[in-house]
Amino acid sequence: MHTPSQLRAGLTRRHFLRHSALGLGGFAAAELLGMPPARPARARSVIYIHLAGSPSTLDLFDWKPRLRDLHMQPCPEDLLRNERFAFLKGHPRILGSPFRFARHGAAGGWFSELVPHTAAVADRIAMVHSLWTDQFNHAPAQLLIHTGAPRFGRPAMGAWLHYGLGSENRDLPGFVVLTSGGHAPDAGKSVWGSGFLPTLHQGVEFRSAGEPVLYLADPPGVGRAARRRSLDLLAELNAVQRERHGDPETDTRIAQYELAFRMQTSVPEACDLQREPREVLELYGADPGQASFANHCLLARRLVERGVRFVQLYDWGWDSHGTGPRDDLLTQLPRKCRETDRACAALILDLERRGLLEETLVVWGGEFGRTPMNEERNGSVFLGRDHHPHCFTMWLAGGGVKAGVTHGETDELGYRITKDPVHVHDLQATILHLLGIDHTRLTYRFQGREFRLTDVAGTVVHGLLA
Amino acid sequence: MQQDGGPARLRARNRLHNRAVHAPRLLALATLAAAAPCPAQGEATAIPAAAARPHEYARDVRPILARACFECHGATRQKKGLRLDRRSAALRGGRDGPVIVPGDPARSRLLRHVEGAGGVKRMPPPDAKVGPLTADEIATLRSWIAQGAPWTDDAGDAGDADARHWAYRPIPRVAAPVPGVPNWPRNPLDHFILARLHAEGLAPSPEADRLAWLRRVTLDLTGLPPTPEEATAFAADPGPQAYEAVVDRLLASPHYGERWARIWLDLARYADSSGYERDQPRVMWRWRDWVIDAFNRDLPYDRFTIEQIAGDLLPDADDRTRIATGFHRNTMTNDEGGTDDEEFRVAAVIDRVNTTMQAWMGTTLGCAQCHDHKYDPFSQREYYQLFAFFNNTADADRADEAPRMPAPTPEEVQHRARLAAVEARLARVLDESARDLGVASDAALLQPLRDAMAGMRQRRESSPWTSALVLEELPAERRRTTRILEKGSFLSPGEPVRPDTPAALHPFPEGAPRDRLGLALWLASPANPLAPRVAVNRVWEALFGRGLVETAEDFGVQGEPPTHPGLLDWLASEFVDGGFRLKPLLRTIVLSATYRQSSALRPGLREHDPDNRLLARGPRVRLDAEFVRDNALAASGLLARKVGGPSVMPPQPDGVWQVVYSGDQWTTSRGEDRHRRGLYTFWRRSAPYPSMVAFDAPSREYCVVRRVRTNTPLQALVTLNDPVYVEAAQALARRLLHEAHGDRERIARGFWLCLQRPPHPDETAAALAALARERAAWAADEAAARAFAGLGCDVQPAGQEPGEVAAFTALAGVLLNLDEFLTKG
Repeated sequence: MHTPSQLRAGLTRRHFLRHSALGLGGFAAAELLGMPPARPARARSVIYIHLAGSPSTLDLFDWKPRLRDLHMQPCPEDLLRNERFAFLKGHPRILGSPFRFARHGAAGGWFSELVPHTAAVADRIAMVHSLWTDQFNHAPAQLLIHTGAPRFGRPAMGAWLHYGLGSENRDLPGFVVLTSGGHAPDAGKSVWGSGFLPTLHQGVEFRSAGEPVLYLADPPGVGRAARRRSLDLLAELNAVQRERHGDPETDTRIAQYELAFRMQTSVPEACDLQREPREVLELYGADPGQASFANHCLLARRLVERGVRFVQLYDWGWDSHGTGPRDDLLTQLPRKCRETDRACAALILDLERRGLLEETLVVWGGEFGRTPMNEERNGSVFLGRDHHPHCFTMWLAGGGVKAGVTHGETDELGYRITKDPVHVHDLQATILHLLGIDHTRLTYRFQGREFRLTDVAGTVVHGLLA
Repeated sequence: MQQDGGPARLRARNRLHNRAVHAPRLLALATLAAAAPCPAQGEATAIPAAAARPHEYARDVRPILARACFECHGATRQKKGLRLDRRSAALRGGRDGPVIVPGDPARSRLLRHVEGAGGVKRMPPPDAKVGPLTADEIATLRSWIAQGAPWTDDAGDAGDADARHWAYRPIPRVAAPVPGVPNWPRNPLDHFILARLHAEGLAPSPEADRLAWLRRVTLDLTGLPPTPEEATAFAADPGPQAYEAVVDRLLASPHYGERWARIWLDLARYADSSGYERDQPRVMWRWRDWVIDAFNRDLPYDRFTIEQIAGDLLPDADDRTRIATGFHRNTMTNDEGGTDDEEFRVAAVIDRVNTTMQAWMGTTLGCAQCHDHKYDPFSQREYYQLFAFFNNTADADRADEAPRMPAPTPEEVQHRARLAAVEARLARVLDESARDLGVASDAALLQPLRDAMAGMRQRRESSPWTSALVLEELPAERRRTTRILEKGSFLSPGEPVRPDTPAALHPFPEGAPRDRLGLALWLASPANPLAPRVAVNRVWEALFGRGLVETAEDFGVQGEPPTHPGLLDWLASEFVDGGFRLKPLLRTIVLSATYRQSSALRPGLREHDPDNRLLARGPRVRLDAEFVRDNALAASGLLARKVGGPSVMPPQPDGVWQVVYSGDQWTTSRGEDRHRRGLYTFWRRSAPYPSMVAFDAPSREYCVVRRVRTNTPLQALVTLNDPVYVEAAQALARRLLHEAHGDRERIARGFWLCLQRPPHPDETAAALAALARERAAWAADEAAARAFAGLGCDVQPAGQEPGEVAAFTALAGVLLNLDEFLTKG
């Protein structure tokens, strides 16, 4: 059993880290990693918004007028040479974006009409047009971007960060996952697994409907008082045994039961969006009680506010192949944008006015890009784009990211990168860097070798740092 | 999750610490400092070095150099021309001259470099991935050099070649040390333990009381607790053979196979779905039942090996040995659109190579897929030579999972036979009717009969007929040529290779075929020293919570050396000499004085040996996920003891199975299948059963040698709130009310059912006081009492008020959550 003074020491340390001038990440991590603190970490928490299925960023941020010119003409031959596509067959035709684009923000970046709210915060985000991956199927590409490897079994970025930096809240998990859109991401729970790290570090899924955490609610008929009585007897009997056999593991168990008890209160409290003023709910377009992406953005803010290290949002339904009305680019991409655009912008504005944006890194993106060609699978008359690993756009905001910049470029067809390519490992290295961690040093030994999030690659993208 | 700095966490971190992985260690300290109150403990796990003894290169020195130096001064790179993994090269030194001068530590620059003393550059450099050497390690190098830097193995062949790593050497016949306390040891195993304890100045713990040993051994051999009746009978049996009789009874129990299969299923990455994105259900339980049965009939480990690797190629192959090959059909298949079947077929073969070497040889070979192994003596070419053994099976990542063989259950066979009999009777009637009606008969008259017969045939043909996924070798004309895959990519085939085993390991059996059967014979060969060491270590880990080689997954130079090398070899040779049978080995261990010790942590031991590596006390470890469930069901009387059969779907929360592109539903099982043992729970890789995941069960996507044990609040939420456990508490409460009278007796009954011991007076007092509080509280709210006690439409236990049942449900719930209940102690 920890003595009260030990517990206090722990708390004081936490308190210090939480409130030290440099912020936890920068000071503690850099110092304790034995590195000269090249630069203080800016980010303390991450909110990572993953659009599962991968949005067509050619129709949102990477404006290619040339595609309009070539609309429905056979694509240039060299786009097909040595290429393997998930679904495209024969000689596909170019698909110009059916949506209107305009310039926004001081730097005049292009945004389509589908994302007016994001466009309105253009000056607060860094747009990266030159992301690329080497996977063109959903599950492996999602695994690559979240775990650094296209196969199952590696820890997710949130698990790595939790392992490296720990948690700052005694009553909440340090790595929380929220899924919306009706499905889990294609790669399943592995994208928030702890892989070979101890399970302590795995993402804890807060669910949209029903209990926010599995088995959180007391059984029927049991109230707080009844639970307290049970835990009191449990602690008493456990302490009797602890006295007899002396195993400190029993102390941990007693403590974990108490944490579970606190979580039963703190998690519903954190998840209770009813506590937000009407104005905030409207900003996000949140609707307490419903399962929605907007609710999750608001919840994410409430969680980082409470010291949660990593909040991972997955929103499913972005896979617009155009095989039918359900994945038609023309109707479904606008629908998904309507569900998400306002909340993403609201998150940035809300974090900013609370002074949290500086220490919270917000990341937005899918697992790969989409082809500039129309898929026309089996002669489909609906519009859609196939999977495309060579380039895609993501944006980042807050947490030490340079605001209002554009990084990287693609060619006039949006098919290949022409400037400043950023591999997903580079993105990971950069995220870790923003949290004050050298990605080559955050390692774990497993099956005879050191593993890390960025595998054997990754370069910090300095152009994105404020 | 917030870390309260519990010992589990400290221990997990210490493991890293001890292995001196620089960055995580520091990170670990960062978190430790942030969240755990006693960082000093992180330093306390090292076991004091034994008194100055002759150093062995392979045991003492090579692991240090391998960790800290081989990355840059090893087989793949020789910075400054210096190579330290071979004797001649190491003594020659690098471009700047010798670094090791045998017998003269002062002139050995190696020491100055690792100390960073005398103005020389510290090695490994500060930007290296590995941290500096510890003072102990430097002291070891110093005294080894002082001893003349002997570079030999046990057998004394001081060749220029590497002294072979200890794990690859033949298993010597080890004589047990002479006992220091003549009355303590019960068999030779104990002599090894005692000798080490004496060397450390420790004494063993007193024997655990009979009931504690009974609970421990019953959980260890069957994964289930003893019944109160078994416990009282054993406590009352003073006979000299009482312990032996218990062990023999447990080894003969059908639940023995279930318990030991649990470990093998993790190694085999057994699951009921195919993995990857679609993760379709697949029928693998016939293989799972083969494993349970193999353990129950104590199939010798060599045969166990051969049947699983190549049961289809045996001269005496039969359905059973073919089902055994399902071991390697547990690899994942990917039938997502647009995927290249060859890519995932190759991924499956790679997984077979890695899993075989992990499960049997304790060797982590994965890195040789892309390049020569940096630490262990395996080249990339050798990797693909092993790959070649597995590269000619007929399965090819196909959506239909071919090849499969029909493997109907007896019930299915019976059912079809019954349908066939009806069909035959109909045929007879049809015949007779046709005859009676004569040639002029009107076909229309007989049509209903013909329809009935056709219907019956269709019913027969479509009746359930389980099949099993099996390995099957391609015919000669369709054999694939294996090539080295550059950087491990299936798109970059290089030079062709032929099937062979790594040169550093024991030789390929003479005359054996160069196919999977040959590989199986090589693994099972009596000349293989590694497989028995790995196998007995696994058994040791299951019983004591930690292997003699802690890194059960890595017996290579980067792994931990054994804490008791002689004991490991003694057990391995007993195992081999005993015909590779597991049951006699277990019998020896669980009857030993070592295993019988009390697990209480006496003063001093916590400081000296917190992880119990020296075994100065008995084991105390939390139960595995499956057994946490089994025990709650067993104590409450709900457990269905049926062995084997299709996987079942006990209650789980809605929405866990939320997998893309799949309409598969979790259909909660009914009747006894709600309460089957944990290992029969349907295992979907993308969404494994959540309450087991909370207790560290893996997803089964890949071979897992060792489950990391955590202690988290999510576990508390499971055993307090999961309806499975609430139901168990309700059932246990009813048992107490039915099976005993009066509070004291009922409390005692609860202790016997859950812990197999009587309560101590202080425990009884606490429980009595709690019952009084519970009664008062529940009496005030009958509706809540009914809900909690599960008294909806249920018949009320005779003469019991709802408040009374609720009070006992609360007590039962506490018993099912006791640390002692969740722990084998």
